[in-house]
Amino acid sequence: MSWKKELEEKLIREKLSENLGGKERVKKQHDAGRYTIRERINILTDKSSFHEIGKISGSATYDENNDLVNFSGSNFIFGNAKIDGRNIVVGGDDFTLRGGSADASIREKHLKCEQMALSLQLPLIRIVEGSGGGGSVKTIETTGRANVPEVEGWNLVVESMGTIPRVALGLGSVAGLGAAHLACSHYSVMVKEKSAVFVAGPPVVEQIGQKLTKNELGGYEIQLKSGAVDAAVDTEEEAFNSAKKFLSYLPNSVYQLTEQLSTEDNPNRTSEWLIDAIPRDIKSVYKIRPIIEELVDKNTFFEIGKEYGKSIVTGFCRINGWSIALMASDPYSYGGCWTSDTCKKVQKFVDLAETFHLPVIYLVDCPGFQVGLDAEKKGTIKEGVRAMSAIWQTTTPWLSIIMRNCFGVAGAAHKRGSSYISRCAWPSARWGSLPLEGGIEAAYRSDIENSNDPKAELEKITTRLNKLRSPLRSAETFLIEEIIDPRNTRKIMCEFADLAAPLRKIGMTSRTMRP
Amino acid sequence: MIYSEVSGTLIKILVSKNQIIEEDTDLLVIECMKMHIPITAKKRGKIIDIFIKEGDLISEGDKLLEVVYDF
Repeated sequence: MSWKKELEEKLIREKLSENLGGKERVKKQHDAGRYTIRERINILTDKSSFHEIGKISGSATYDENNDLVNFSGSNFIFGNAKIDGRNIVVGGDDFTLRGGSADASIREKHLKCEQMALSLQLPLIRIVEGSGGGGSVKTIETTGRANVPEVEGWNLVVESMGTIPRVALGLGSVAGLGAAHLACSHYSVMVKEKSAVFVAGPPVVEQIGQKLTKNELGGYEIQLKSGAVDAAVDTEEEAFNSAKKFLSYLPNSVYQLTEQLSTEDNPNRTSEWLIDAIPRDIKSVYKIRPIIEELVDKNTFFEIGKEYGKSIVTGFCRINGWSIALMASDPYSYGGCWTSDTCKKVQKFVDLAETFHLPVIYLVDCPGFQVGLDAEKKGTIKEGVRAMSAIWQTTTPWLSIIMRNCFGVAGAAHKRGSSYISRCAWPSARWGSLPLEGGIEAAYRSDIENSNDPKAELEKITTRLNKLRSPLRSAETFLIEEIIDPRNTRKIMCEFADLAAPLRKIGMTSRTMRP
Repeated sequence: MIYSEVSGTLIKILVSKNQIIEEDTDLLVIECMKMHIPITAKKRGKIIDIFIKEGDLISEGDKLLEVVYDF
């Protein structure tokens, strides 16, 4: 007597669970230009690599003889799989079943998914659509009682932020707990025009007098600028590729280190045009992204959070094949000054690098914190000291290259106190407590005011001080370790990456990062 | 629509109404934190309206130009 009958019954349930929310709901999903969760997992993961856990968990009905009449799967699907040959855990909401809400979910599956990724020390990709297993008002009727709100298992989410890479893809309307899962990640992606993210959607918001469409309330333009989401792409396929690309720079967990990849890019490659990259006119700006692309291994720069805190560009890259966290000032946004949002961006990025043991390279052009009423209203100094503290708490190898401005407290945050970092400067570098422009009037007020010709006096003082602020004079007294030829910058960066690699240490950081 | 991403003083308007603009063209220059920051066209388009004048103080999020891209 074999066990074939039981297995056949299991297969029936598995087959039924593949129906998701039924033909009509699946059609509706497709008509809206969105894949179903099973299609998404198939496209995201290597062929036939998905090992689903709990495929026959769901809701079954039986007749009076206890024979199965119907079966509907749970609206959260998860398991382990491979992407580009590498093990990961993936879990996602089935929007065709009660919009992914708790009504058709089994809470333990969400917990198990989190626990699985954390325990197996594998990256987690969460595909979110709907309320991500959160409750809806209808829950009160389906359960017959009101629940006291709690987010069971959030401890796992918090722990995993400091242990494994978490990527979240918001591929439709995402609200409540779903939005929380999207935001609680190291990297999150939306699909333009098809995704919207909010704490509560338009019908709820209308109750407080705001009549807005999904896009107006939580479309990609809103959420990228707010920093709640890191990137937006045109298609779901691009979202999957972004997730893969992001993970390619990170280890599976903090208990591993990234490996050096082979590169055909010469570590000694020089770049002639960099000698002219910084304009001599200090009021003129320049584009930082072409400089970054020039310095890193060809086509390896992966920007994160492009639309948020824009005076700093952050992203991963390869330098001589090593995975590196790169920050660079962007003078096109507030001249490179750190705004409140920039400071928050720096905190998260530096924590990310520290968590996964990526050495940091910082291309510095920071005239200071943003000043003015707007800056004060946004608490720039508070976020600024938090960013500085995040930098001071790092232990990962660090290289700062001062390209132009380095002023004030924000400028000082290119290093971490007295601990060792590698550092050099381009000949275009300028530094001080305050830029001379604007600072002279304050510091030499009485000299200028008491002069017969205040304008001439100001010019005289400016000329005198300009001669003193040459970076070469600072180098003579070893205030800066080295002035380098910009054309040789890549060589310096590759040498740093080689020196930093053996210094990386596995393990959790003493302060795990928050999302 | 093009909105300002920085606050500062508008020091130059480099385009006029009905002008066709190419990608990467400088449209306006805002002085911000003592730097001259150009606002550039992200793609080819046509200027429909200009909502500011030289010397105006600009805040983050202010409406600057109306541009159409399909014409």
